[in-house]
Amino acid sequence: MKPKVAFFDFAGCEGDQLQIANLEEDLLALLGQVEVVSFREVMKEHSDDYDIAFVEGSCTRLQDEDRLKQIRKNAKIVVAIGSCATIGGINALRNYREIDDAKRIVYGDSANLFDAYTARPIDAIIPVDAYVHGCPIDKDEFLHVVKSLLLGKKPDIPTYPVCVECKKNENICAFERGQFCVGPVTRAGCNSCCINEGTICWGCRGLVDNPNENAQKEVLIKNGLTVDDAIKKFRLYFGWQERRR
Amino acid sequence: MKIISKGDFKSFVNALIMDSSLNVIGVKSKADKFAFGSLESADDLIMDYDVTLLPPKKYFFPQRETLVTYDVAKGFSAKDPVEKKPTVIIGVHPYDIVALLHMDEIFRETKSDPYYFEKRKSSIIIGVNIQKMSKWCFAAHMGCATIDHGYDLMLTDLGNRYAISIGSQKGELLLDKYAKNVQNALARDIQLVGQKKREVIAMTQQKLDFSPELIPELLSKSYEKSAFWEKHSEKCLACGSCVLVCPTCYCFDVKDNPDLSLEQGERVRTWDGCLLEDFAKIASGENFRPTRPTRYRHRYFKKGKYLYDRFGFISCVGCGRCSSNCLPDIANPVNLFNDMYHETKASGVQITPASTPEVNIQTEGNIDYVPRLATIVRKEVMTVYETLFEIKLDDGSELGHAPGQFVEVSVFGIGEAPISISSPPTKKDTFELCVRKLGNVTTKLHTLQVGDKVGIRGPFGKGFDPEALKNKDLLFIAGGLGLAPLRSLFNYVLDNRKDYGKVTLLYGCKEPRELLFTEELLALTKRDDVEYKPTVNWCPENEVWTGNIGVITTLIPQVEFNPETTYAIVCGPPIMYKFVIADLKSRNVHDDHIILSLERRMKCGVGKCGHCQINHVYVCKDGPVFNYSKIKGVPEAL
Ligand SMILES: Cc1cc2nc3c(=O)[nH]c(=O)nc-3n(C[C@H](O)[C@H](O)[C@H](O)COP(=O)(O)OP(=O)(O)OC[C@H]3O[C@@H](n4cnc5c(N)ncnc54)[C@H](O)[C@@H]3O)c2cc1C
Ligand code: SF4
Ligand code: SF4
Ligand code: SF4
Ligand code: SF4
Ligand code: SF4
Ligand code: FES
Repeated sequence: MKPKVAFFDFAGCEGDQLQIANLEEDLLALLGQVEVVSFREVMKEHSDDYDIAFVEGSCTRLQDEDRLKQIRKNAKIVVAIGSCATIGGINALRNYREIDDAKRIVYGDSANLFDAYTARPIDAIIPVDAYVHGCPIDKDEFLHVVKSLLLGKKPDIPTYPVCVECKKNENICAFERGQFCVGPVTRAGCNSCCINEGTICWGCRGLVDNPNENAQKEVLIKNGLTVDDAIKKFRLYFGWQERRR
Repeated sequence: MKIISKGDFKSFVNALIMDSSLNVIGVKSKADKFAFGSLESADDLIMDYDVTLLPPKKYFFPQRETLVTYDVAKGFSAKDPVEKKPTVIIGVHPYDIVALLHMDEIFRETKSDPYYFEKRKSSIIIGVNIQKMSKWCFAAHMGCATIDHGYDLMLTDLGNRYAISIGSQKGELLLDKYAKNVQNALARDIQLVGQKKREVIAMTQQKLDFSPELIPELLSKSYEKSAFWEKHSEKCLACGSCVLVCPTCYCFDVKDNPDLSLEQGERVRTWDGCLLEDFAKIASGENFRPTRPTRYRHRYFKKGKYLYDRFGFISCVGCGRCSSNCLPDIANPVNLFNDMYHETKASGVQITPASTPEVNIQTEGNIDYVPRLATIVRKEVMTVYETLFEIKLDDGSELGHAPGQFVEVSVFGIGEAPISISSPPTKKDTFELCVRKLGNVTTKLHTLQVGDKVGIRGPFGKGFDPEALKNKDLLFIAGGLGLAPLRSLFNYVLDNRKDYGKVTLLYGCKEPRELLFTEELLALTKRDDVEYKPTVNWCPENEVWTGNIGVITTLIPQVEFNPETTYAIVCGPPIMYKFVIADLKSRNVHDDHIILSLERRMKCGVGKCGHCQINHVYVCKDGPVFNYSKIKGVPEAL
């Protein structure tokens, strides 16, 4: 019997589900292996009978917690997809402001009507079996994770930083181009895609397990960034992880 | 030496490009840097570059390469033969040519790597003498800034013309076939080339304060200086850049990549590096080089000492790529070695060049990365985590192993794992593997059933030598799963019982339900020609245990043996060795009477991927069975 798969979204842009919907032929081949029972991006129906739950978006409200716990109860395997779900993502940036300030900036005077709290990745609430990092996720890595789960193996998510892929791709380092990059502390797996395109790594896949943060900040500062800007570089995506460390 | 005008050289390059049977590579610009790439026109070729981003090894040992393809219905096959077009690489600097010679020896040692050599053998290397030097380059100090061999053709820019040194017949034929108006060099040209080469040396901006012959000895004297290594690696990002860009680094990882059918797929190897955090980590979570200083130190030792001891060369050609790619600027060998030199000298230690190592590199045949198909013929669950698999090769051949050797077991789409052969060589048509469920391969293996297929490579490694142990008293000491490899020798000895003296087995587990081969071991208690003593660390209330309670070393005082005639054969978790060896030594057992089987992360099983290294020793090839007297001085071993 084909495993039943469901997709869920929390606070995020649904860009990751869009990535999946855009898989085209690969999606068709993939659909041969699974049965999708719930996927807002492409279908209307919904079912609570599923084996694998893909969860996108971060947990930003108390109510989210109950919904997550329900998903965990229903699913055999929970996969966090996209930075918001895996590391808190951009949402976690607001954690650096007092939550009420953040609400006021976003919602103005109606702030009190919303009950947002510190944005967090879903594994802050429920155990997660597998991660598809990235903002947005990488299609190939998503397929790798799905294939691995179907074969009964733990997906192979790199523990090394983006520089590894960047070197293999023979890119010119952002620092040599006068730019600033957090690739040396960011988990690889995206095939250094942003740097391949001539930009920098913003850190969307989150920190590696044991980043040398001080050394990286020193590199940023040595290359001309102010201390404040170096800290900001880290905040963009690493907010929740830094807080937890 | 020949001479060719620049115009005719361009025509020569274009003629090569026009020949579709050749794959023509040259140095091209990439923004303000340079990279080797496929040439479409001689106009794109840049000969006065300083250094390329990656070295040309990527054409012989690519970043990613398929080793094997598989199909669950058909088994494993060698990857489809690639287009065997000879690769012509134009514009290789001398240090990169020397690096290729290093790689040749590394990929040839013991067994040749067929994927490397299928590309390397047909390649044609057209070198060029350095015209601009990267500020990081110290090839001159390493004797690699200019060279006299290793190339097929070597060019020197003489203004309006190139001087061409012919290094091989292949090079000469290429010139004959594709170049026009090639003249013999005149005396002045030869003199000019000499002058240009001297100028190269003078371009060096890096300064090594001592002669590189001292490097191996200097390293030997600095291994234990942990403060030195900590200080130098404090800013290490563990980003691996220094090894990934290095022309002499060769470590790789191997992974299975199933396609979407999940029935077919490929096994690929990708560049890996010893600076990365998980390089030496095994499934149980143990990491044999867990800290940045230990990994950082390993790289320098690999370059300056381990490969020197094995091959007699210092495995750094001074290209300076590591230095320029390390963001915290801690990977420059010149800086590190200078610091080491001055610190050592200041401490009053005399450094003399190490004596040249005896290099004895044997090579025989090719590595076979393609597993043989085999069938699980019996499966016996032993504990919650361990199952015994009896396996038969599908081609009907015997495995032909020595006790203590291991095989690489493949599970389709999941990967390969090294597993000791648990059955004795006296058992011929099948063999047994006792497997603990830990990570991907081993867990999936446990779900397979009798009749299911696996892949087998090997047997690999140096096992026990049952001949050398004849007539000796044997004291087997096994901890946990360590019994699996020992059992192959133990059962062999029982099958040839009269050839051996006293036989004792000490076996310890954490708790009774973890004991393996319980029936077999129970049968031992009925024999009077074997002494068997088990122990458990503790016994939970719901289990029954009447034997010894305590760690394995608590058994050692309980047995009588004559240290002169006894050989101790030890295998267990890494933590066990230190204690067992200390106790054996206190009972006067000679160092060379202690035989160990060690475990490290493995990928290739054949001495190429670098994962299993304990300092200069490869566990997969030099072990896994070691005589303690040979391994005790190897600091990472125990
Ligand atoms: C010489 C030798 C003999 C061994 N004999 C046995 C045995 O008889 N029975 C048994 O159960 N186990 C044995 N092991 C350990 C066994 O190899 C690992 O448990 C196994 O590789 C884990 O693979 P995995 O895919 O399940 O784990 P994962 O964590 O998914 O590992 C991924 C890969 O890393 C490498 N790796 C991880 N752990 C180890 C390790 N401990 N040793 C070597 N490579 C590793 C392998 O290439 C493995 O496929 C032996 C190891 C060595 C080196
Ligand atoms: S561009 Fe970024 S990821 Fe690439 S090598 Fe430089 S620091 Fe590392
Ligand atoms: S390069 Fe960095 S920012 Fe870009 S996808 Fe990869 S991790 Fe994210
Ligand atoms: S030494 Fe430098 S290049 Fe090498 S891993 Fe450490 S930080 Fe990266
Ligand atoms: S160690 Fe550094 S300088 Fe030496 S060959 Fe490698 S990259 Fe070049
Ligand atoms: S072990 Fe040696 S060859 Fe392998 S990455 Fe490290 S330095 Fe390079
Ligand atoms: S070198 Fe690859 S396993 Fe030993």
